Amino acid sequence: MPRRRIFNPLTELLAAALVVVLVLVINRWQFSLVVLLAGVLPAVLLSGKPRSIGLALAVVAGPLLVSSLVLHGLFFPEGTSVLAQWGPARVTVEGLEFAALMGLRMAVFSGALLTVMMTASIPELVSTLTHRGWNRKLVFVIGSAVGLLPSVAIRAQHIRRAQEARGLVVGGGLRRFKALLMVSTPLVTGLLVDASERTHMLEARGFSSTARRTSYLPDTDSAAQRAARWAMTVGVVVFSCLWLAIGPAA
Amino acid sequence: MISLECASLIYDDGPTALADIALTVEAGEQVQVVGPSGSGKTSLARLLAGRTGDDAGTIFRGALTLGGIRLEFGDGVHPRIDPAAWSSRVGYVAQGAWGQLSMMSSTVAEEIAFAPANRGMSAGQLRTTVQGIAARLHLTDLLDRDPRTLSGGELQKTVIAAALASEPRVLILDEPFQNLDAGAAADVAAALERLRSAGTGLVICEPLVPERPPGHTRVLALEKGNRVFEGTLADARRAGLRRYGIALEGDPPRLRSRISGSAQPSSQPSGDPSCDSSVHRSGGPSGHLSGKSSVHRSGVPVTGPKDDAVLAELLGVSFTYPGKAAGTPAGISGIDFRLGRGEVVALLGPNGSGKSTLLQHLNGLLRPSSGSVRIDGRKLGRRPTGELAATVGYLFQNTDQQLFERTVLREVAYGPRAAGRKREAALEQARLALAEVGLLDHSGPHPYELDFVRRRLVAMASMIATRPRLWVLDEPTAGLDDVGRNRMGELILAHAASGGGVVLATHDTAFAHAVSDRTVTLEGGRVPA
Repeated sequence: MPRRRIFNPLTELLAAALVVVLVLVINRWQFSLVVLLAGVLPAVLLSGKPRSIGLALAVVAGPLLVSSLVLHGLFFPEGTSVLAQWGPARVTVEGLEFAALMGLRMAVFSGALLTVMMTASIPELVSTLTHRGWNRKLVFVIGSAVGLLPSVAIRAQHIRRAQEARGLVVGGGLRRFKALLMVSTPLVTGLLVDASERTHMLEARGFSSTARRTSYLPDTDSAAQRAARWAMTVGVVVFSCLWLAIGPAA
Repeated sequence: MISLECASLIYDDGPTALADIALTVEAGEQVQVVGPSGSGKTSLARLLAGRTGDDAGTIFRGALTLGGIRLEFGDGVHPRIDPAAWSSRVGYVAQGAWGQLSMMSSTVAEEIAFAPANRGMSAGQLRTTVQGIAARLHLTDLLDRDPRTLSGGELQKTVIAAALASEPRVLILDEPFQNLDAGAAADVAAALERLRSAGTGLVICEPLVPERPPGHTRVLALEKGNRVFEGTLADARRAGLRRYGIALEGDPPRLRSRISGSAQPSSQPSGDPSCDSSVHRSGGPSGHLSGKSSVHRSGVPVTGPKDDAVLAELLGVSFTYPGKAAGTPAGISGIDFRLGRGEVVALLGPNGSGKSTLLQHLNGLLRPSSGSVRIDGRKLGRRPTGELAATVGYLFQNTDQQLFERTVLREVAYGPRAAGRKREAALEQARLALAEVGLLDHSGPHPYELDFVRRRLVAMASMIATRPRLWVLDEPTAGLDDVGRNRMGELILAHAASGGGVVLATHDTAFAHAVSDRTVTLEGGRVPA
């Protein structure tokens, strides 16, 4: 069941982006872990679609997490406290700590951004940006980037149905993974073809017009949320400057 | 108002796509550009839309004139067309409704408003415009639907509505009636006529000479990039254009394997929408939905499909799409349906009436909420769709979303490979299927490199390659020209003659009557009593 929306999608998107900035600035695995457990995880669970987000996380962040663990866990040149060794591969405490830091960061990035991308109302986001007078091309880029996932999901579903109709049996485990791989090539090809056609379509529908763009949807943003966005942004920027100047040394 | 003088148009050093074509469209004039696949209709439409393609290796020699300003193109001369300024006066609806969506709109209303919003129309005026166009095209009930969830016909109407919203001075439409039922086509035609009478020039590209456009329509017929006819609609209908592969809309397909003595379009009164089953090719008595008294194509009456002769059976099947949002597709309700071996049944009905939903129950893409489905004597149960592919072949309405391999041959061989055939055996089966649809010489390219008709036939060959006994075809003739339509008809008849069964959903009633044993009409997910 979809969650009840409290904030404007722009506020949610900005909050996710600022969380990513904070995790980058505060270079501590403990902080990343707290953000993951106290912020991202509840957001995913309360999103109304934790299974979809979990699956997307596994596909997007899973391979990166595994490769990070293998690379830094086994081959960390600065590692001195060796826990185990197999030829050139050494498991070190420092390597594992670094792998944990990178892995937690990636989990926070992916979790925060995917949750917003997969639950935000794209039209409402685009409408808000339009009402705020943002550049239309920037609005389209943001709208497309955030809205790409649902479109990709629909297209992938169409391709999988066509493959099933031609004999693909989607089972569990390895078969499902193989089916996922088989969808990827036609999916990317199709998206590229669509993108090429869509460029012309956008031109034909006046996208490059110089008139100020209007919106069919009413403005759902509020003065309080606009103020909150400014406050959050200023707060994170000031905090980041202070932290980078004195935090790590303290 | 707009004129095109095309000395030549060449894509990527290929053959000449258009040669010696001159076309002028005045305010309030309607020009119908007709021609078979590959005749140059789309190339002409794109040129008029200002897409000369000089940035993509296309060489256009000629001139475009719009509003008194003439732009000449030639060797080394490529004046830049400002797409924003051009599109504000010349609207263009290309083929393939899915690719026309902005992907920025969550509702049909926003999609229709996209272009005028880009040009700065005020919010209040946007709403008035959207409501007005939606009312004219009977889209009001769909305004809150996500355009990505619409049926093919509904999507097509949405894309046309979006083009009308800009009120262009010239509107170019490439096969706008594809996938539309008769009612929807009439709505679109009326909306276009209203636009034309207000002074908009219309250019409509179609593979067939239309049946009932306004009497003042001018027809330009193309074949292999050359003009073969230009004149009034009445003259076009008498000009014998079928020798160029241009049939008249409403004509039945030309089928060499038609049974002797078979009837042309049904003797049953066609105006009765509740006529749920009527015998066509065989001219026998009317059958029931369950096929109790169908007549075999050979002309020898049989007493319906007996149990062992039943290829597909739906009993009391109902299906409801998840979600209770306004505009969610209605699904189907209480459907009883039987298809015998050697039988062809056509499903008719307006857009969104449940035809595709019913079809998808035949190969398990959808599972009934209640009722039962039996295929080839076995209950469908929980068998995966993939396991049914050897028995049921499915041709989707959207061709391009079912082509996913790197070459035509690999595409067609996918089914046999998935069924466990060794590589060489699968390729051999693929070659046979390609030969059947007449595309053996096109096995090397990427499917997307072929024109639409050939892509449709590749999709057909992909389905045939696994040798399924039951063919399920969703809008098999949509977008096909005369030659493609005839071939599709031949394939269906040959399959039925070999003992296979075919269920097809179509808006092409002439085709349905020519190839089917009986028709079933759906309305609102039900078969009217």
